[in-house]
Amino acid sequence: MEQKIKKPKGRFTSVAVRPTAADHSFNLVVDIFLMGLLVIIAVPLWSTITLSFRPNDYIGNNLQGMFLAPWQWSNAAYKALLGNAGFVLAFGNSVKILIGGVVTALLLTIPLAYVLSIHTLPGRRYLNLLIIIPYVFNVGMIPSYLLVTNLGLIDKLAAVFLPGAISTYNCLIMRSFFEGIPNELKESARIDGATEIQVLMLVILPLSKAIIMTIGLFYGVSFWNDFFHAMLYLNNNQLQPLPILLRNILMASGMNEYVEVNAFGDAPIAAIKAASVFMSAIPMVIAYPFIQKYFTKGTLLGSVKG
Amino acid sequence: MKRTCTVCIALVALLSLVSLPLFSQGTADQAKASGPTTIELWYGAAITEAGPPPADWVGFQIIKDKLNIELKLTALPSNESDQDVKVQAAAAANNLPDLFMVRRDVLTRLVPQGLVAPVDDLYEKMPIRTAKHYDEVSRSHARFNGKTYGLADPGSITKNEGLLVRKDWLDKLGLAVPKTTDELLAVMRAFTFDDPDGNGKHDTYGYGAFQEINNYEAWPGRRLEPIFGAFGVDGTWNMTASNAGLNILKPEFFDAMSLLKQMADEGIIDPNWLAYKKDDFRAAWKQGRFGIMREQNAAFAATANYAPFDKNFPDGEWIIIDPPTGPKGHASIGPYTAGFRIYAISAKAVKEGKKDKIAELLEWMASDEGYYLLGWGVEGVNYTKDANGIPVAANLPNPDLAFSAPGGQTVTQLRNMVFYNGDIELYARYPKYITATSKKEMSALDVLRVMQTKKWTPAVGSDTLPIPNADLKRFYEQGLSEFITGKRSLTRENWNKWIDEFKRLGGQDWNDKGVAFAKENNLLN
Repeated sequence: MEQKIKKPKGRFTSVAVRPTAADHSFNLVVDIFLMGLLVIIAVPLWSTITLSFRPNDYIGNNLQGMFLAPWQWSNAAYKALLGNAGFVLAFGNSVKILIGGVVTALLLTIPLAYVLSIHTLPGRRYLNLLIIIPYVFNVGMIPSYLLVTNLGLIDKLAAVFLPGAISTYNCLIMRSFFEGIPNELKESARIDGATEIQVLMLVILPLSKAIIMTIGLFYGVSFWNDFFHAMLYLNNNQLQPLPILLRNILMASGMNEYVEVNAFGDAPIAAIKAASVFMSAIPMVIAYPFIQKYFTKGTLLGSVKG
Repeated sequence: MKRTCTVCIALVALLSLVSLPLFSQGTADQAKASGPTTIELWYGAAITEAGPPPADWVGFQIIKDKLNIELKLTALPSNESDQDVKVQAAAAANNLPDLFMVRRDVLTRLVPQGLVAPVDDLYEKMPIRTAKHYDEVSRSHARFNGKTYGLADPGSITKNEGLLVRKDWLDKLGLAVPKTTDELLAVMRAFTFDDPDGNGKHDTYGYGAFQEINNYEAWPGRRLEPIFGAFGVDGTWNMTASNAGLNILKPEFFDAMSLLKQMADEGIIDPNWLAYKKDDFRAAWKQGRFGIMREQNAAFAATANYAPFDKNFPDGEWIIIDPPTGPKGHASIGPYTAGFRIYAISAKAVKEGKKDKIAELLEWMASDEGYYLLGWGVEGVNYTKDANGIPVAANLPNPDLAFSAPGGQTVTQLRNMVFYNGDIELYARYPKYITATSKKEMSALDVLRVMQTKKWTPAVGSDTLPIPNADLKRFYEQGLSEFITGKRSLTRENWNKWIDEFKRLGGQDWNDKGVAFAKENNLLN
């Protein structure tokens, strides 16, 4: 008896299948939902941008009359920020933490993930368990502080990224990705006499650009935004990264007791706050489009293994 | 082979013997004795968004040359809870700095752990500083079990707020300055419904506020204290010996709530007051949105703060009025307490023999040299003195380095360690000026002096009383706001039920503990 083949329904229908009314309705709901989401994200972002261009003599800090576009543009806040030695110093420190952190984290995560992806590794199950335990049970702030202190990392930029240089979550994603690479490729390299390091360097890594970029981005974002570790471990104020300065700016009252100028000159403090938020987000905003193409590929490939 | 091994072992043993003193504590101590004493100081920055003093700040060299102290500075985070986390993490690792600013709540936890040292003996060693900074109230502020564990330096100026009313609106509407709560309500109604700005729109309100709460000014907080003061229930606590306890448990609190509810129902308080943040509130009065408010002297009258209002309303005028008198004759701008910044000395620093050096450093800071250097910078570079000897930011070769300019602010980051709200500071802080548009003479200091003459409720120490747990606090704040917004009906019966529930959830316990603490520490008036 011939079975009827059901047409697939839903958003991800093939081009050959004509979408039904239900598909259209579903797509409409999804589109409306996404538009709503876009508005939720875009409105505060736009509000921050317009606020950052608020002119000096603009009175009040709500958006009246300036929602769609400022009626008068001023780059005073950006000029003040970029001209401020503290901001430049903090930005530089953040860049150092970002680069140092991403490089260190990848250098440590890749070999660990690769080793864990080898099914024949003796004690692999226990090693996995050892890695997952601290993921589930966090050691807490005080033991971490004691460890960092005893390692002599207080007042070193490395204190910000070294304790979190291997994220279990990122490591597991990368391990899954490596497991998805056909074993035959590794076998053939081994038959040709390659060592495990050569297999990793010459076979695995060239095939893993997507996951490296993705995990690198994960690490990058977390190091760039890390306020807590920097606050805890960096006593030398010359080492303070951008999130610390940003928080100090955001906490600023805008009311200097003397002549009402803030540390950034006579630019309005609300504009300074908005500009600093916007500028601190710029590096990540720039990085995302370049890495986005790897993003879905990197995370999805790792999630499906045959 | 055997011989080679023996030679190697002998060499290692010899090397160990030679190198041992290099790593021993004894050698390091000897080095310390001859060199400067390092003092690590975690301070509260005067201007949070400005950076720390530069590495080549002249103060470091002066302190080294004169006191033989190598000062290592760390600015604490601007947020109080971040400060607490940093201090507590260092405490847990027994890694507290030698001298550090700490909130009283945290100090309370550090004392029993033996991590901070008593400072009672330091007062005698710092005669100049003690005379200017530490009175009996200050000493008792950080006293636990008869010993003082922190140097409580003067904090913000007290009684620096006032009840202000738009005099130009009163004049336009032919109204007198309100003296009682009834008159205040009448003025609020007129400001709301009689178009005091004459623009033909219903865009003004009587009273403006926002929720600004703290340990001793619970919901609805500081901006509405004059309303609650008219019923004798301003502030979280009643600090009188005869009637001590939580104000919310006093019968008059219901009357005050009823008045606030009436203001909300009649629409004569700016309806945005529950949503406003500080900046919104301040923007609103500068835009002429309401005509009565409680505001801080500098936030109202300092140059840049007043300028937008001056530009918008050149003929506008705010006057400071007495707080309105309530039905039983009570009146108050609000409670006042003595704000302190506590600097504690770690037990570790004392163990390392640094206590006297710390006293020497603090005493030097209070000397003329330290006071001006830390308060305003270098004379001729960061400030000059006017004819009265007051530091001013005028006639400087590089105005960008003035103590009040962005370039000079970093060198005055430690000023809170030397300021004690003396006249020189106040004159320097609040100079007289002529407004740009209306050409009025303004002085935030004159405003301050007037504000301080008004009736306030003494509540010194009320900010140190126990605080409720998070659930009780939420119940307190949410319940009161629901009565005002109408989510709960404000009737005597409902109020009593809600108060019973409040007591059951821990309110009574909070009250009893607070009263016991106040009695124990002689805080009641």
